Amino acid sequence: MTSPPDNDARKVTSLRELPQSLEPPHDLWPRIEAQLTDIPDAAAGRATPARAGAMRARWLAVAAMLACVATGVWIGRSFLPGAPGSTAGPVSANNQVVPDLRTTAFDAAYVSDPRYAQQRAALVRTLQAKLAALPPPARAKVEASLATIEKAKADLEQALGRDPSNALLQELLVNTYQDEMRVLSDVHEASDPGRGI
Amino acid sequence: MADAQAEDTRIDWEGTLVQRARAGDKRAFERLYREYAGRVYGLCLRMTRDPQMAEDCTQDTFINAWRALGKFETRSSLATWLHRIAVNVSLAKRRKSGPVEPLPEEEGAATKWTLETPIEVHEIESAIGALPDGARDALVLHALYGYSHGEAAQMLGIAEGTCKAQLHRARNLLRERLGVEVS
Amino acid sequence: MRIAMRLSGALLLLLAGAAASASAEQTFDREVAVQPRGAVDISNVSGRIEVSGWERAEVSVHAELEAGVERVDVSSEGGHTSIKVLVPHAPGHGGEVRLQVKIPQESELNVSGVSADITTTGVLGVQRLNAVSGNVTAELAGADVELKTVSGNLHLKGRGQAARLRLSTVSGDVRVEHGAGDFEASTVNGTLIVSLDSARSVRVHTTSGDVRFEGRLTHGATVEASTVSGELNVHASADGGYAYEVSSFSGAISDCFNASPERASQYGPGSRLEGTRGQGAGHVRLKTMSGAVQLCDRL
Repeated sequence: MTSPPDNDARKVTSLRELPQSLEPPHDLWPRIEAQLTDIPDAAAGRATPARAGAMRARWLAVAAMLACVATGVWIGRSFLPGAPGSTAGPVSANNQVVPDLRTTAFDAAYVSDPRYAQQRAALVRTLQAKLAALPPPARAKVEASLATIEKAKADLEQALGRDPSNALLQELLVNTYQDEMRVLSDVHEASDPGRGI
Repeated sequence: MADAQAEDTRIDWEGTLVQRARAGDKRAFERLYREYAGRVYGLCLRMTRDPQMAEDCTQDTFINAWRALGKFETRSSLATWLHRIAVNVSLAKRRKSGPVEPLPEEEGAATKWTLETPIEVHEIESAIGALPDGARDALVLHALYGYSHGEAAQMLGIAEGTCKAQLHRARNLLRERLGVEVS
Repeated sequence: MRIAMRLSGALLLLLAGAAASASAEQTFDREVAVQPRGAVDISNVSGRIEVSGWERAEVSVHAELEAGVERVDVSSEGGHTSIKVLVPHAPGHGGEVRLQVKIPQESELNVSGVSADITTTGVLGVQRLNAVSGNVTAELAGADVELKTVSGNLHLKGRGQAARLRLSTVSGDVRVEHGAGDFEASTVNGTLIVSLDSARSVRVHTTSGDVRFEGRLTHGATVEASTVSGELNVHASADGGYAYEVSSFSGAISDCFNASPERASQYGPGSRLEGTRGQGAGHVRLKTMSGAVQLCDRL
């Protein structure tokens, strides 16, 4: 596929030599796919294969919601009681402290989209069981990653406390929430009993 | 012979993907998207002249195609089918955004769209973009994408005679704009 | 007494037999004729998955199964071939399987593993490789590639042919050599080391991992890299040049063209480096909270 014709200085002698195919500036597939999950399979006799398709559809719905977090979220500061990172989580089998991912007052202040909050809450509720289903070395690494994300959130929130209108920090914080959502979704999908078995 | 065989292989491959997509396999549909997104976007961009609208048009085309997969006959051309959908989507989007100019009256002659002297692609694309909507639509479908007068007219929802008239108008305007004979 | 001795002997033999079958490996071989550009799905719980592309319109499966594996199912219909390893549901009873699969080189390949390393060579079609804790190593050949793992490492080796590349790992490292095209990669605390022969768009992101990127950008290309606390080291050259914006809250910013960062605001912390190299056709945006950033327009 060729790029848009604005800068194309090739010379041609016929309109038929103009490129039929032009690459869209953005990859449209994620947006298309997210809408396909909302369309019921209405064609007669169409059967949905029972593979990882259902899980993938759920993951895509989460991905579509992440787009809401990134673009439509209101980010503000709330001075409700409770400091981020002050609650320690349960200790895992290999003595690593699993970060407490229950929604805090600060979390709620940052993310106003109720669908995001519901989806996150559902993933966090099942997190321990999902982690337990992973091979032990994988579980340890994921717990370390979740701890990294919690620390990043805490560091960003602390920095935002000194400079609340800092757009860079706000953007990085949204990215970090997206990372957390991605990890929770990946763990959920990875430990699904239907996965390849 | 080799070309016919290659075409048959291609239709078989497409047919397989369409069957899988009809059964709900979105990965198969993604393969079709990757294969045809450029051709659909190319058509949408030239008809709408707006990259953002063209992206929306491309997106809506594939979503509509997914919905209508049950109606597609696998031995016919998927590219043509997608183009039909894209033309409808583009026309609908354009109707929302501006008035329609009146149709021309004179009849047109056939042309091979050959330029007297070589012209840079971006200059030609710019000239095509400046054409009135009806003339541009007919020109893009007929001269760029190779549809016959009848096929282009059907896709645009106009009479074949009107389509030929639009092409004649397009040819005259391009000749004026580019300063070369278009035969 | 003799009966007791015979019974003990029989029991010993039975136990020995059971132990032998518990440790016995089996092999499985199967070949099926398939469409040359169909889809092949492979899944394995534990072990290895090695896929190679060939010119035959056949899928060939060779598996070495440890005890505790139920079977390998192979089926093919309507352009879709499935190879699935089945293990008992009771935890701790499944064994490992080494799967070696040959597929038509233009097939679309989808692989899913749990604790299984995945390797592909000579596959020219689209590849989607997904592992939980296995490492994924793939050869890139001009078709789109999506690699995903939770805790494993990702390694992609290309030959400079443009494609769409998407790599994602939670805690593993990412390494790309001779990639090209549109590139997206993310890791939370792993390291990203990426080398692209030509890049049209690049998006990389880590939380605390370091990023080392080097590549030639096409005309008008975009590069976006962000990290919270990792280091960003970007060497990007471009014929048309690029406009660059580097933002850091508390990390140091340096470059190889003697530009000096400025304070982002006179009222608070943060620094920014903005400017243009060459004609400024492309865009490079680098963002970090506390990591150090280095930008250079030479390779």
